[in-house]
This record gives sequence, structure tokens and C-alpha cells, in this order.
Amino acid sequence: MGNSTYLAGDAKLPYCRGCGHALVVRQLSHALERLSLPPCSVVLATDIGCVGLADSLFPYLHTVHTTHGRSTAVATGMALADAVFPAAGLKPVVMIGDGGAMIGLLHLVHAAQLNVDVTVLVHNNFLFGMTGGQHSAFTPLGWVTATTPRGNCIPPLDLLALLRTAQAGFLARHFATDSNLDAVIAEAIAFPGFSLVEILETCTGYGAFKNKATGAALRDVISRQGYSVGRMEAERPRSTFRQLFQQEVESRRARKPQFPKSEETAERPNQPVLCHSERSEESRSASMPDQHAAEPEFKTQDSRFQAQNAKRLHIVIAGTAGERVQSSAALLCRAALSVGLYSTQKNDNPVTQGSGFSLSEICLSPQPIEYTGMESVDVVIGVSQDGWNELRANGTLAQVTPSTLLLLDSELEIANPTGRLLRQPFRRDATPKRAALAAIAFWLDIEPLFPSAAWEGVLVSLPVERREDVSQALRIGASLASQGGARAA
Amino acid sequence: MVAEGALAAGCRFFAGYPITPASEIYEVMMRELVALGGLALSAPDEISSLCYCVGASLRGLKSMTATSGPGWALMSETVQYALMTETPVVIALIQRLGPSTGGATQGAQGDVLLAEFSTSGGYSIPVFAPSNAAECYELAQQAFNWSEHLRTPVVLLSDKEVGMTTELVDEAALAKLAPVERTGVDAKASTAAYDIERAEEAPGFAPVGGRAKVTVTGSAHDRQGRLRKASPEVVEMLVHLQRKIEAHATEMALVRPDLDPDASCLLISYGITARAGREAVGILRKEGFPISFLQIQTLFPVPVEALHMATAGIRTIFVAEENLTGQYRSVLAPYLTGQRVLGINRIGGMISPGEIVRAIARAGGTIPRADWPCEYSPAGALREPPLQRKAGA
Repeated sequence: MGNSTYLAGDAKLPYCRGCGHALVVRQLSHALERLSLPPCSVVLATDIGCVGLADSLFPYLHTVHTTHGRSTAVATGMALADAVFPAAGLKPVVMIGDGGAMIGLLHLVHAAQLNVDVTVLVHNNFLFGMTGGQHSAFTPLGWVTATTPRGNCIPPLDLLALLRTAQAGFLARHFATDSNLDAVIAEAIAFPGFSLVEILETCTGYGAFKNKATGAALRDVISRQGYSVGRMEAERPRSTFRQLFQQEVESRRARKPQFPKSEETAERPNQPVLCHSERSEESRSASMPDQHAAEPEFKTQDSRFQAQNAKRLHIVIAGTAGERVQSSAALLCRAALSVGLYSTQKNDNPVTQGSGFSLSEICLSPQPIEYTGMESVDVVIGVSQDGWNELRANGTLAQVTPSTLLLLDSELEIANPTGRLLRQPFRRDATPKRAALAAIAFWLDIEPLFPSAAWEGVLVSLPVERREDVSQALRIGASLASQGGARAA
Repeated sequence: MVAEGALAAGCRFFAGYPITPASEIYEVMMRELVALGGLALSAPDEISSLCYCVGASLRGLKSMTATSGPGWALMSETVQYALMTETPVVIALIQRLGPSTGGATQGAQGDVLLAEFSTSGGYSIPVFAPSNAAECYELAQQAFNWSEHLRTPVVLLSDKEVGMTTELVDEAALAKLAPVERTGVDAKASTAAYDIERAEEAPGFAPVGGRAKVTVTGSAHDRQGRLRKASPEVVEMLVHLQRKIEAHATEMALVRPDLDPDASCLLISYGITARAGREAVGILRKEGFPISFLQIQTLFPVPVEALHMATAGIRTIFVAEENLTGQYRSVLAPYLTGQRVLGINRIGGMISPGEIVRAIARAGGTIPRADWPCEYSPAGALREPPLQRKAGA
């Protein structure tokens, strides 16, 4: 036992006689000495198994002992967070066994992909030692273990080959007995980005005796598996996570802050805002205005609009994905907001998001809305067959009463629905993408809920390029209404 | 609003994995966090998400992830690790219809027991349940503050209907709480990771990478963080994990009561169903039926004092929740021994005000419309649609 700054000088190593783990902790200590790293800049993340006993041997290093396989992930979390601190340089070193490497394989792959500053020492003794010598994903063919009494017939995992596909920058394989192991570990720790050393050793308790795999015999086993030993040929260097993150921060700093949001809200402390907790599929295709960009422009009228029929209205708008159903519904909510109505909006679409139906369920009320569901529906706007079919399938049509307004596109094939039916050529006259908004405008023209001036506030909140499109849809809807389409069939 | 509340509370690290109906929180964090000097990241699975958060929290950043039932299932290992290692972290669990993959776009309140009782050993995890966007904002801050104060994982239990409904919020009226910051450890004074003065308080926090040596372990440990078998000190530390939560139960208790001194009937609800409950209570009162209402925001620890206050003089209690077996009702039942406790339950859609009114009317029998279909069962579950039962009767 060396008298080291890192490894406790007086500690009795807790490993079985001849166990490779003892060699590795000493070599790790030597490696840290070579690098002269301040102890408080290193954190050992140790996994489950005999390998996890290392914490107490390094009294000056930070130590984090995790659950099985998760040491790499927790270390990655620490390294990620460390990138936020510009002056920092925490060096997580993961000590994990072959069992942990397999159960936490995903974490190794992702750490390599991210290229975080994490060094992983895989203590590969080819089996689960602490629990009685069961075989692992790294057990060589033919090995006898507690769970493969007639010899293992499952080929072992070549971890390094696998991690190479994840673009790991530093990969090496060594025997615990290699005299230069400390130099290799030091090189791995000093490497900027993800590094991993697979250290081959024998479990003297369960591996060595049954499989005659010590010393030169172990080298033969490795050689038969076709594994190369030493540093794997380096991939071309790439940026570390820390570098990428700092670049991102710098580039954002270079750009001007876009939304002086706090100032805006400070000026109008009573400004209600629509809380958008979901974005529709239309917004994913960037046709929706950015909510934050829009907010500062948005004005609430001073006096609350007194709806003549001061009752809650449930409106369902049904169409086809990609035809701006949900964003049109959002515009209706914004217009309603500007006259002091409360609103809720719920959207629905198939899991594929970009195909099939698209629905919005809206509730408008002069009073705050508690229950956001519908026990009956007041207005159904159907602008495509997809949407109409879904209304039939999801039970909305069962909530239609004789007083429900059904505002449907002329093209829809429908079978004698109840309710006040109106058919209009929204798709033909306004185009499919404007049909929902045209239908909304039509409805508001024949059953005015709020002054049409409310739309002006909505329009100025939109990006300039979107305004003409929206106002055209509104015009077409209103014009269809004024052409005498208001008679219910 | 969960994300906004978290940011207001000082959240500076988020690792997420897409899942409906929690993805929006993930997207907002990816958009906002870097500008605030933090970091948001896509993890390859939910196990990694929470492990990254735990690592980041240990490094010193307030951290959060968001998921739904299937993701929570994967996270439960690391929730326990955070609990054992006294690592502050917030998990927004946005419920959807279970079990298993269930219904991704359908709401439910079926993860109440799963959220609270998923630790080996049955340790308490604070759980806050918002019912609307404004409460999401406030309770996200509460979740962070208690997580930091007590060094423990905290669950913000929302659901699809709360999380994916767009609604009007009065920004000026939003609750803005003073963020709780971690109490530091003096590097020279202590090297003990879990050096508590009293079992009821969390130990001071020292970040990994700081000057004070940090020892963290998910194994049973002593005050130094050293792995030990069941010595008295280890048991003391294990008891401390529970005691620190229980000791702050009253301070953590958040409820929205609407009590009527003349009422002999009380409706209790939480989350999305509390909204229908509030409307139902309005309808019943209009009908001349005195009734009290209690919305519970802090589901765990159970707000016992508020419960006793609300149940004084009450003979019948209804607990309305969108799950099959009355999960939270089963939690409350031991505290409600002097009353008849009935459940109003359904799955597959929000419970409506009308359903609550009808269930209470039928059970109470004191208001005119007692012939409405019954929608509760004393055993707890509504196991068949009421209309079918009526037809068969």
C-alpha cells in the first residue's frame, strides 16, 4: 500500500487475496498522482458489486455510490451540470463491473455519444462475484460458473467494439496486471470527453479456479476471443459536451434577447394571458406565431364584454390534421380573451399527429371555467370528412341536441344529424387550410358572440406574413354568412 | 405552467424523455433553460432522465424531470435512490390512463398510490396535485421548495386534462414564492455527508465538486455516509428519512376549503376532479342542499389537521376521483372513522359535475332529484356504467 494523497494509507483493502480490484485501486491512485488533480475536483462514482467497496478507500475524493448500473448515468448527470459552471472542471471517474456495464449499457452508450467528461473503469472479471459467481454478459465461451455448470454457450459482449459505434473517443483494454495501467488510466482521465478502460481481471473466488484463467491463461482466453489489448485506434477527435454547450451559450449570448417579457408584463400587471400548455400539430410546422413573440402585442379591451346570452358555450371544431384546425381554434380563444371571456381549449389528434383527424374542443364562458368537459355541445364545426367521422366515433354527436348548431362543409357526407344544420362550401371557397377559420367567422357572423373588432387585436398579435391569410379566411367566412347562408336547413 | 413554475423556483437542470402528456414540459425546458443559465437535455430513457437529474442535483443544480405512468415505472429505482441519498429532485408525473401503455391521450388519476408508495420500505414522498394552470405554477414552486428544504424527491402529480388544456391565466394573480436555497455545509466544519442535528431536519448540502468532501450512497449508511450494516446509527438515519417528512406535514399541507357550517355532507376531491367538484357544489347549494367542499393540493403527507377541520359536524363524506378503486379515499379512510365515506369514481373520462351531483343526491336522498341514477358504490368502484344498471333494474 502506497502512502498516497488519494488512497487511504492505512486502509486494509477489502478484496479477496489475488483479486484484480486491489491492483486497480492502486493504479487509479497512481494515475491521480501522475495528474496531480486536486482531490475535490474528482468524484468516484462506484457501482454495485465488490467494485463498489472502493469509496471508503479514497477518503479525500468525493464519492457517490449508486444503484446497479447507474453509476455512469449519475456521473454523466454530474458532468452535464458541471458544464454549466464555466470555471469548473469536475472529473467523474466511474468504477463499474461487467455486470453493471451490461445492466447500465444504455448509459455507457449515451455518455459516449454525448462525449461528456467521464472516465469509466470497467472491472471485467467475467462474472458476478459478489453474489456467488453467476455468469455475466462478458463470460467467455465455455466458462464454468454457478449458472453455467456445463460451460457458457452464449458469446460474450465486446464492449469496446460496441462503444466505438457510439463514437467513443478513448477506448482501451488492459489486464489489471499490466504495469502501465496507471499511465493508461491517467491518459483516460486527462482525455477531454468520454473515455473507457476495460480492465481484465480474474475473480479469485469464482472465476480462476474453475476455469484455470490466471496469468498467461487469461491472456489466452482473451486472445481466443479475438480481442485486441491496448488503446483502440482513436476516432477523429470531436467536441466534448462541455465545448458544445459553451458554444451554444456563446451563440445565444451573441443573439439579442428576443422577448423582453418581464418588462411587458410589468407595464400591464393585470394582463391575462392564455396559458398554452400544449402546442398543436400546426405549431410544429411553424405556421403558428410564437406565443411569446405574440404576447407583448396583445391587448385586452378595458371593459369586459357582456355576452348577451351570458352562458357557457361548448364548441367543437373538427377537421383534418395539417389544415390549421387547432391553430384556428386558438385564434378564436384569443379573440374571446380580448373581450374578457374565459376559455379553455383541448386538442385531439391521432397518435401519428400529422395524418387523420384534428379536433379542438373549446369552452367559452363569462365566468371562470372549472369543469372543462362537455355535458352537451352548443356548436359543432365540421370542415372535413376525417373530422366528422371522428365526431361520430368519439361520441361527440351523441351530445348534440336539437338546439346544437351544426355548421358543416358542403362536401361532407352526413346522415340526417339532429341539430340546426347549416352547410357551406368552406373548403371550396376558403381553401382547406382556411376552412376552419372561415367557418368560425361564419358562425360569429350569424350568432355574434363578440364584436368583430375583437379580431383586430388578434391580427396584430400575429406575424406580419400570417395576417393576410387569417384576415382573408375571416372575410370569406363573413361573406358566406352575408350571402344568406344563415338559414338553417 | 409546470415548467414556468419550476423555472421561477430556480430549476436549472432538466433531463427528459418524450411521453404524452408530459412532453410539453420537456419542450418548454429545452427552449428556456439555457437562456436562464441552466441546461436541458434529452435523455435516452426515463431511467437516465432521473439519474441525470440526481447527478446534476448532487453537483448543485436544482433539477427536474417530467413523465407519465410508464416513465415513472422506470424511474422508481432512482426515486428511491434520491430518497436514500437525500438528493433534492422534482418529478412532474402527468397521469394518463393506465395500466401499462394505457391511453396516452386520456386523462386519469390512477397513479396516486403508485406515486406515494413506490419505495421499498414505504417511505413518504411529498406529492402535490394541481387542478389548473395557475396551481401548476404555484405547486411546482412548492414542490421545489420542499424538495430543497427537506433534501428529498417530490412529486408534482398532474394529469392529461390539467396538463394539456389551454386556459386563461391571470398572470398578476399567480403565486410567486421565494425560492428556497440549499443550506450549505462549511467545508472546514464537517466532512459528514448526512450530519443531521435533529432527525426532523435535513442535513446541510455540499455540492459534489465543492471544497467539502461529499460522500453519497444509496446503501444503508451512517452519518458519515459510510456503508454499514444495521447499526443503531444506520437505523437512526433510516428513521430520519421518514421523520423529516412527517415533522413538516402541517407546514406542507395545502388545501382549498369551501366549508358550509350547516352542512352534514362534505365533498373531497383533488386535481382535475376538484374542478368538477367545485361546480357540483355550486349546483347543489343552488338546489338548497348545504354541502362543504375540500380540495386537497398536498396529497401526501395527508393534511390531517385540515381534514379534521373540514369534517367537524359532517356525517357523510364523498371522495371524487378519476380512478376505479378510490385510491385516495383508501388513504383518507383511516382518518375518517366517524363518518360514512363514499366514493365517486369512474375511468375513461373526466367525472362531470352532473355525475357528482347525481351521486350525492342519490346517497343523500334529501334533495328533490333522488331518482337520478346512482353513480357511486359504497365499496368504492363504479364497476359498470350506471345506465346499464338502471336498464337492468
